[in-house]
Amino acid sequence: MIEITPRSSAGWKAMLAAYVLALFLGLATSSLLILASGASVADGFGALYEGAFGSRDAIMQSLVAATPLVFTGLATVTAFRAEIWSIGQEGQMFAGAMCGYWVSLYLGGTTALIAVPVIIAAAMMGGAGLGGFCGWLKTRFQVNEIISTVMLNYIVIYLLSFLLAGGPWTAEGSTSYHQTPVLAENFRLPLLLEDVKLHIGFVLALIAAAACWIIIRKTPLGFEIRALGFNPTALRFKGVNVARTVLIVMCLSGALSALAGVSEIFGVNYRLRGDVMTGLGFTGIIVGMIGGLNPIGAVIAALLFGALANGSLYMSVLSDIPPSLVPAMQGILLLFVLGAAVLVRYRVRFGKRADV
Amino acid sequence: MSELLSPEILMSIMIASIGVATVILLAALGELVTERSGIWNMGVEGTMLSGCLIAYLVMAGTGSPLVAALVAMVAGLAVGVLIGFMTITLRVDHFVTGLGFNLLASGLTLFWFRSYVDGAKPPSYSTIDKAPIPGLSEIPVIGPILFDQHVLTYIAFLGVPVIAFFLRRTAYGLETRAAGENPQFLEAKGLSVATRQYSAVLFGSALTALGGAFLLLAFADQFRPDISGGRGWLAIVAVIAGNWRPGRTMIAVLIFAILDSVAVHAQGVGVDVPYQFFLMLPYVASILLLVMIRSRSGQPAKLGVPYLRH
Repeated sequence: MIEITPRSSAGWKAMLAAYVLALFLGLATSSLLILASGASVADGFGALYEGAFGSRDAIMQSLVAATPLVFTGLATVTAFRAEIWSIGQEGQMFAGAMCGYWVSLYLGGTTALIAVPVIIAAAMMGGAGLGGFCGWLKTRFQVNEIISTVMLNYIVIYLLSFLLAGGPWTAEGSTSYHQTPVLAENFRLPLLLEDVKLHIGFVLALIAAAACWIIIRKTPLGFEIRALGFNPTALRFKGVNVARTVLIVMCLSGALSALAGVSEIFGVNYRLRGDVMTGLGFTGIIVGMIGGLNPIGAVIAALLFGALANGSLYMSVLSDIPPSLVPAMQGILLLFVLGAAVLVRYRVRFGKRADV
Repeated sequence: MSELLSPEILMSIMIASIGVATVILLAALGELVTERSGIWNMGVEGTMLSGCLIAYLVMAGTGSPLVAALVAMVAGLAVGVLIGFMTITLRVDHFVTGLGFNLLASGLTLFWFRSYVDGAKPPSYSTIDKAPIPGLSEIPVIGPILFDQHVLTYIAFLGVPVIAFFLRRTAYGLETRAAGENPQFLEAKGLSVATRQYSAVLFGSALTALGGAFLLLAFADQFRPDISGGRGWLAIVAVIAGNWRPGRTMIAVLIFAILDSVAVHAQGVGVDVPYQFFLMLPYVASILLLVMIRSRSGQPAKLGVPYLRH
């Protein structure tokens, strides 16, 4: 029997130990996966590392891959901190990219100095609108946010599929690719480094992380967010409008997710298409949770996962291991981190209870 | 649009609905029992997806649908052990566990499938045969809809009264419900809450995986990533909209199933509304259903609350 009792306080040592243990078990299990698929573990992890950190270009490309994950990770942190279990990051990211693209259709030859901020603002409003809608459904009709966000993910993805598969936004002569025409230069996010496409979105992501940290730690809204997760009833007695807080949190989370869509479409791909964004929202949930629902932790987790995603392409070229090893690894790591977090919050004893 | 209303198409939609309903109904009945025991399992989608993949791999290996379904159920039990360990023993938040498991399942199934096919064309096979009930299946209209279906479809629909009876009339059913309503009471009687919750989660996960296996065996000639397409989530919605009662849950399942098959038929018939809008229907309906049906009187009092023994 395993006996678990709550622990009054948990130090950083317990936390560090839990993470190291989870990381070790996660890597061990992933090695078993590689072995089971008939490849060499050393070759697989070697190629993964080489592709992620092997050269200056590799490192920069890992940063590019990490950028959208920082945004969706932060979106997770803001919502989950308030114990609002939104898993709409995927759909909100798509909605953001779609709204940004939609607005760009009316911007013509506007200078990038105006066009880019307008596109970003439109995208954030799109994401915030979708997130806020789920918040409204939750507070007004008690519709569980997990359900509404999942369902809207599907709805938004089908809407994009309609727009791109022969619908109004489909590029001339490319119906089979499901994409829009190439974006004009003035709509693209400015590049920090020309050769590796490290765009301004990376800086925005770091600013967003700092902003989230300040909001959660230092502002009245942040207090409400933390209290909402901890004890909503007490918050209500304090005279806080809980419904309003839920709505704000969901809008904020949606706007952050939307930025992931902007950075992928306007910073990297220069065309609106669904497949390049697929999964970035869901990975953001893992990023946020592994980051301990802390903005700084989410940035670290996003950098790690961005590197894994970037390295996985190189790995799949060098070895027989499919790049989908990385999503599998991420899921495994998540469950181990969740399990290991118990070590921090509870005292675990093996053996029979004496006092029954 | 009017093409969809011709008698032949309507008939075909109804026949297909009952088949599709089987998948969601099996998962919904499993989730219903799980939730009545107090465990809010959000990992239904991932469990169903796992059931699909295992059934596919076993089918490709043995060619026997029966073995495929059984092994998928065993895999479902394994998933149940994992989810039970996280939620009941470790007392990790139920939502977090379920969401985490879904992400794990979508990554693992993708990797396993990709490394299994290894760039080659995935093997495919024909879908399983229906089992018409002699005599009854010849009744006009009702016969083909209700009595010319798969064996598992009959089992799933018979499961509705059986599970209602189990929860209402048997001692273990009562104890399972007590685990979700008043676990202290159960403990005071000297009965283990954890045992009842584990058995509910194991039962629910096995049934959900069986639903996934059926989705693959009856409707698809091969596995593809995300084949479950939200049907696990629809099962959870059906339980909530059905106010945690088997009969009403079945009605919600039927609504989703009918919309699902309308979408499939709209694609086939070639109506002038883009097919993507039809594909949205079950998801739109699920939100509308939760907005309209807000009675939560059947919700177990301790649903989703980790039980801490004192």
